[in-house]
Amino acid sequence: MKKVVTIFTVLAMIINITACGPKTEQRFESSFLELFDTVTTIVGYAPDEKTFTDYSQLIYNRLEEYHQLYDIYNDYDGVNNIKTINDNAGIKPVKVNQKIIDLLEFSIQMDQMTNDNVNVAFGAVLSIWHDYRTKGIDDPISAKLPSMNELQGMVKHTDISKVKIDKEASTVYLEDPLMRLDVGAIAKGYATEMTAKYIEEQGFTNGMISVGGNVRTIGTKFDEAGTKPWSVGIQNPDQESAQTTVHILQLEDMSLVTSGVYERYYTVDGKRYHHIIDPETLMPSELFQSVSIVCKDSGMADALSTSIFNMTLEEGKNLIESLEDTEAFWILNDGTYEYSSGFEAYIRK
Amino acid sequence: MKTKKITIFGVLIALAFILSYLESLIPIPVPVPGIKLGLANLVVITGLYVMGEKEAFVLSLIRILLVSFTFGSPSTLLFSFAGGILSCFCMILMKQIGKFSLTGVSIAGGVAHNIGQVFIAILVVNNILMIYYLPFLLISGLITGLVIGMVGALIVGSVKKYHLVSGNNN
Amino acid sequence: MMEPMNIVRVLKHISGSSGCKMLKRNDVIMTGIVLLIALVSLGFFFLNKKEGSAVVITVNGKIYQQIELEQNNTIKIEQENGDYNEVVIQDGYVWMTDADCPDKLCVKHNKIHYNHETIVCLPHKVVVEIIGGEENTVDIIAK
Repeated sequence: MKKVVTIFTVLAMIINITACGPKTEQRFESSFLELFDTVTTIVGYAPDEKTFTDYSQLIYNRLEEYHQLYDIYNDYDGVNNIKTINDNAGIKPVKVNQKIIDLLEFSIQMDQMTNDNVNVAFGAVLSIWHDYRTKGIDDPISAKLPSMNELQGMVKHTDISKVKIDKEASTVYLEDPLMRLDVGAIAKGYATEMTAKYIEEQGFTNGMISVGGNVRTIGTKFDEAGTKPWSVGIQNPDQESAQTTVHILQLEDMSLVTSGVYERYYTVDGKRYHHIIDPETLMPSELFQSVSIVCKDSGMADALSTSIFNMTLEEGKNLIESLEDTEAFWILNDGTYEYSSGFEAYIRK
Repeated sequence: MKTKKITIFGVLIALAFILSYLESLIPIPVPVPGIKLGLANLVVITGLYVMGEKEAFVLSLIRILLVSFTFGSPSTLLFSFAGGILSCFCMILMKQIGKFSLTGVSIAGGVAHNIGQVFIAILVVNNILMIYYLPFLLISGLITGLVIGMVGALIVGSVKKYHLVSGNNN
Repeated sequence: MMEPMNIVRVLKHISGSSGCKMLKRNDVIMTGIVLLIALVSLGFFFLNKKEGSAVVITVNGKIYQQIELEQNNTIKIEQENGDYNEVVIQDGYVWMTDADCPDKLCVKHNKIHYNHETIVCLPHKVVVEIIGGEENTVDIIAK
């Protein structure tokens, strides 16, 4: 599965037509398609095009590094990534970049916080679903569901305590030879967060990074009218609808991540099976159409959106209310909306 | 008789070529290349009244293929095909109903031609918004259909009057 | 083979002598119905004509970019196969400034401004479309 590196970059430039008035920075946008199998969009304000292009390039380079390190499907020359760890499960510890160790430690912390609902050691089960889904998308007529036996057989290979991280030696070892790491529920958000922090230190203070809809805002918008928060829409799960968004949030230095049944799915006998697998039932969770999380840390938002998706509304609400500056929004299967106590304050009137 | 028929076919197809070229010079305010006025319908309606239904259909098919390969791109073929065939069927049907004059049949053909093209446009660009061009194209179809119908009536009238086709002197 | 044609005679022949008129009552009714449909839908579109608020660019049916109309902008659409289009947004109006398609019809298209207006580059499957309403002006969509 060689990824075609496509340079699909758009540089959109704002021409300031205001003749007088205070000097403002200009708005620029760029996007590229080759990272994390999705569209990355960067919006930001900079004094000139070159400055913005330089920031974009720094963001791209940093994200590309994360993309290679956190890849579970592809090898890269001279890079030990998560796939390398998986390939050496039960064989030997793999020396890895500190960024992988940081991600895994963060993931373990998230898993504990969410009562084992976002387990990165769940790859053995997820890869079965991944294989069936990929085949089902390629050949919809013979799409099949994995058997419960097959799935249950793999559950015993998902014990996160068998992920051995040696910080001194910078190695990761999976004790169970059949164990597989799958960081899909957390890596994009984590990489976005780390990249946003990095670029902010470099002086990019009014911007936004979206990696496939994992949105992280940096500061505010910045134009003639002064500063104003970023407007971030929440995707309408009903994609047939003319209304693309269900709510628009006003965010400043915050992240918004939505997990929904519409993102990746395949169809078996007319029923859709999406990609968020409930660790209890081993089947796609059927409680909601989508769950959106607003909080500061994009990695946490990513992890929470997946784990809350797998919890009942009540469990989810309890967890969210116990966390500071973290809000959630659920769209139930019947189309009704549920909010955590502080969510509605973010909605643009 | 047979030679005469072939000759008429040839003349009509040649005419269709000229008309297709002519219409490629007339811009219409729709941003979809491939959408055409449908002037070549003149030939089809002439064929329909002078020769018959089967002949009109064959004529329209040959015209579409030849003209698309000569002047157009694959997308032109798609548009001509959708517009041309729908229009041809519609005209045959209207003629069979028997309650409409040649001009009426031609108007129906012109409208059907443009409806067919809009639907192809929706499919090709994968965007339902192309339907917004339909009202304009309905009206433009009415006008072209009317003009073609009147000219067609003249042609068919004189062809019949001067026995260019039938060959029998009654 | 054919006598020199006398248009007047021919016209007379069609409208008079054979007893069939250029247009029958049914023709007029049908024309009226089609005209009515066209005018009613035009009226409907006109009544729904609102100032647009954002531009959506789709390539082959997939959303490529969504940009607010209030911001002046130049968007270059470069596809993997080399297809190229350039869209300009200025003072609330949107138009295509450049394209390497064979017919350049998209470049000749009028500037668009109102809700639902579109510019299409068919050879490149690019649709530039105005969408309206405050509810649509977003910087990005989380999904």
